[in-house]
Amino acid sequence: MRCSRLNNLVSVIETKGLCCRFSDGTRALDDVTLSFSEGEFTVVAGANGSGKTTLLRHFNGLLLPQSGSVSVCGTSVKDDPFAARRQVGMVFQDADSQIIGDTVYDDVAFGPENLRLNHDQIRQRVTSALHDVNLTGREDKSPHNLSGGEKRRLAIAGVLAMAPRVLVMDEPFSNLDYPATRSILEHLLKLHKAGHTIIITTHDLEKIIAHAGRLIIMENGRVVRDGEPEAMVVGIERYGIRPPCSIQYGQGIKPWVN
Amino acid sequence: MGELTTIGFKPGRSKIHRLDPRTKQLLVMVLGVTCLKAGSIFLAVTSVVLFWLVHLTGLSFFQFIKEIRYFLAFLFCIFLVRAFSFDGDSYPVIVGGNAREAALICWRLLLVVLMGVLLVFTTRTGDIRASLIWFLKPLPLVNERLAATMVGLVVRLLPLVLYQAKETGEAMRARGIEKRKNRLVRLTRFTITLFRRVFSRADELAESMQARCYNEHRTLPALAFKRDDLVAAGICVLLVSAAALF
Repeated sequence: MRCSRLNNLVSVIETKGLCCRFSDGTRALDDVTLSFSEGEFTVVAGANGSGKTTLLRHFNGLLLPQSGSVSVCGTSVKDDPFAARRQVGMVFQDADSQIIGDTVYDDVAFGPENLRLNHDQIRQRVTSALHDVNLTGREDKSPHNLSGGEKRRLAIAGVLAMAPRVLVMDEPFSNLDYPATRSILEHLLKLHKAGHTIIITTHDLEKIIAHAGRLIIMENGRVVRDGEPEAMVVGIERYGIRPPCSIQYGQGIKPWVN
Repeated sequence: MGELTTIGFKPGRSKIHRLDPRTKQLLVMVLGVTCLKAGSIFLAVTSVVLFWLVHLTGLSFFQFIKEIRYFLAFLFCIFLVRAFSFDGDSYPVIVGGNAREAALICWRLLLVVLMGVLLVFTTRTGDIRASLIWFLKPLPLVNERLAATMVGLVVRLLPLVLYQAKETGEAMRARGIEKRKNRLVRLTRFTITLFRRVFSRADELAESMQARCYNEHRTLPALAFKRDDLVAAGICVLLVSAAALF
């Protein structure tokens, strides 16, 4: 797979002048130009309705550009959305809506089955993905009987089993209690350490900001800030985003988990 | 969401769980059709076999009754309509022969539903889909993969619709819908809200399937006939032969 190389960093996702307008006339994305490098950990933050989720859906080919372009590893998403979905795994905000299989095993196997892998490969991928998110031993459980945090981990496993290059997650900590949030965060850090490119949207920077290498802030469908988190968080309230507590107390960015 | 409904696949290791899905579907078809024609002796024997299988699979009998309570009410209506006769009187009277016939009809329908529930309870949706593809493949002008996917989605969505109906009902009761005397208004409010939610869930499900590269030509589960399938088919042949004889 061809990927463009910029400043020695391999770019996996590129958007140029991306625009999106909903049927009611709302401008969801307005001239968004971004590039994401291999292995990067990026947080896309913004208030509700700022265009974060719409942007993610373009990466995965669930939405196609109305104007401008999106390419994944050099291939236009418009020309080949299936290739984009193979490369970019998307974890939705509502884990329940992502559950497809009757059992944990079936749910994780859904993606590899769509890739037409053989049964041995599918078994191998499912076992490995479940191991990565600590769900080994739950293969025969009904996904609906899992806790909120386990469902979110199952959704991540379902995407990991497809071996994507990029993992995009829409509000991964929403509706989770403290232990589940910690667990998801620890798993995300583990995946990043293993070499995955991760893009996360959130309006709550507290939990994730210390671990991200890049922070993009969106407002009304436009990218208003893009750079290193330490520099970007200054005066972030004006975009409807609550700054992390440690920043408010003048202690700089502190990690939420060690 | 945990106690979605009983009528959905539950993993297990019972004999019936281990049967090939094609065998199970064939048995449901053959026994279902035979039930609709058979007499009380066959129905009694089939009932015993089915309740034994229900016990084997671990399906709670009372939970099953609770889940099909609306269908049971429907059966009761069928019984009333078939059993009572006016025969020139101004009030309905129960007629012995009619009542027996009505009871038989209800018994047959109940057994067919029980077989369907057992099939869904013991078979993965993916296996049902693979088995349907196998059955439909020889038919000309039928896109077997698309047809099987449709059936699979219905099986997948049905528990979600029931769950959504329960949630919507509870949310409406929490805001005092019972105080509305007009049943039509209550029904309209409930139905519109339920349908909006169900369509939205169906959309979300379709999107998440699409995000994971869904296509019709996916790897199908491996199906294999084993000795148990032969035994099950043998029992089925015995039952059908008995129905033909008695």
